[in-house]
Amino acid sequence: MAAAISAKSLTKEFGRREVLHGVDFEVEAGSVFGVIGPNGAGKTTTMRCLLDIIRPTSGTIRVLGTDPRAGGPELRRRIGYLPGELFLAGRVTGRTLLAHYEAISGPVPPGRVDQLAERLGLDLTRHIRKLSKGNKQKLGLVQAFMHQPELLVLDEPTSGLDPLVQQEFHAMVREAKHRGQTIFLSSHVLSEVQQTADTVAILRDGRIIAVESVSGLREGAVRRVRFTTSGIAAHDAVARLTGVPGVGHVEVLEADGTATLSATIGGDIQPLVRMLASLRLTDLVLEEPDLEEAVLTMYAAPQEEAR
Amino acid sequence: MTALPLFRRAFFDTWRSTLGWALGLAAAIFLYLPLYPSIGGSAQMQDMIDALPPEMTKALNYDQIATGPGYTQATLFGLLGFLLMTIASVSWGAAAVGGDEESGQLELTLAHGVRRVQVVLERALALLLRVVLLAAVVCVLVWLLNGPAQLGIELGNLLGATVLFAGLALLSGTAALCVGAVTGRRTYGLAAGAAVAVLGYVFNAVGRQSKDVEWLLDVSPYHWAYGNSPVANGADWPAAAWLWGISAALVVLAAVALERRDVGA
Repeated sequence: MAAAISAKSLTKEFGRREVLHGVDFEVEAGSVFGVIGPNGAGKTTTMRCLLDIIRPTSGTIRVLGTDPRAGGPELRRRIGYLPGELFLAGRVTGRTLLAHYEAISGPVPPGRVDQLAERLGLDLTRHIRKLSKGNKQKLGLVQAFMHQPELLVLDEPTSGLDPLVQQEFHAMVREAKHRGQTIFLSSHVLSEVQQTADTVAILRDGRIIAVESVSGLREGAVRRVRFTTSGIAAHDAVARLTGVPGVGHVEVLEADGTATLSATIGGDIQPLVRMLASLRLTDLVLEEPDLEEAVLTMYAAPQEEAR
Repeated sequence: MTALPLFRRAFFDTWRSTLGWALGLAAAIFLYLPLYPSIGGSAQMQDMIDALPPEMTKALNYDQIATGPGYTQATLFGLLGFLLMTIASVSWGAAAVGGDEESGQLELTLAHGVRRVQVVLERALALLLRVVLLAAVVCVLVWLLNGPAQLGIELGNLLGATVLFAGLALLSGTAALCVGAVTGRRTYGLAAGAAVAVLGYVFNAVGRQSKDVEWLLDVSPYHWAYGNSPVANGADWPAAAWLWGISAALVVLAAVALERRDVGA
């Protein structure tokens, strides 16, 4: 079984409003698949279709080889789900609530709940209504991960979490992947997904407008380079820099016999590094590529062209 | 894995609410029934009731207030007890599916290894058991006060009246559950449950006024249950069967409706 999820020509209408207009994608088993898109693009609707919470108007879905409509409780026990708008209530402790979800999901290894709660810094003895939004989110993550499901469907998993806990979450995703679990997660910003995902799909207005591997995006992405050199005339340095393939937006600043040049570079960085090696550098900054910018420039064009 | 996980959560996590309603009903019982020897049974009271407009005594079912069973029927089972039980049942019924969906919690529950029909049935069972528990509390307390308050109620009649009392509240509660499950809105469920109770009560009160509007009694669940004063005269068992049967049908309808539609959309 190569695909953990496959969706073909998925459409969904609510009354007269069509929210999904033919969504197609496949998530390879054992991979981390991120869906990004603005709010209202259809991420949550797509995820709810996977769990048979809502039913698509047309199209086919296979989750772990089964149609979610027919899979029933047996299929959903093999999935861990975190809703996008998590709402937990009740005058019970976190531990009691998790015991309830444990009773209606797949088997949870002993000690697993405490281990996850400790990692995320969650106090299970507190009453749910006294928990902050971030702590409720942690509780939601624990219930999704605790039975080590074959597939994790996580809608905006890091919302409300502070940066340290986000890092821990990314570690949990990597470990889940290492264990062979498949992760399908969504976000409205790419920077969140790029840290963990192998593949990124961009959903906009109810359509998948692009599916890219993160490494592919990284290669295609534009970096910013800035360096200061001495012992060479500024115009000479500029000439050498512009000679490197993929370089653009060159700017230069001369001061006291040194020249500070900045530019953007797309594609392979090897020629740039070779050129830089020939200079006497006093400072060098090569920034991490901003994938977000890369995606935005790639798909700022009208949808028809992007497809 | 434990049996009936959804029932257990719905039943046990609301024990404070159940206890609160039980205390409220107990307070109503201890407020009304011990007063019977000094109010209901006295000649003075009978004179006062005779002085009231007959339409009013009929509407309030106070025409039988001079006897212990009639007094218990009119004040407790027919009025304050009916009101408290109905509010409890309707609020639980509306929260069971519609309220849970509206708050966003039903989505997460359905994403787990449960069937929708199972969700409705287990939560309806929790509603049923809580209503039966409250009715049992009422029955036991009335029986305890039967001697001291000189009510003279027969045990068989009291048990029969309790079955009708529970059935009447359950009908409003299952109406709330059903409409909540069909619409996904707690408020619609509350409105439906309240409508069944209030219209039933009003149709009974108006229907008793004249022959011309007697047909209203036929569509009043309140009148089905209490038309022959069960505390005094014993239960009308076919009426009890109707109340419980319609409740069961409403639960089935709720399960079918939830099974067929999108949740949280």
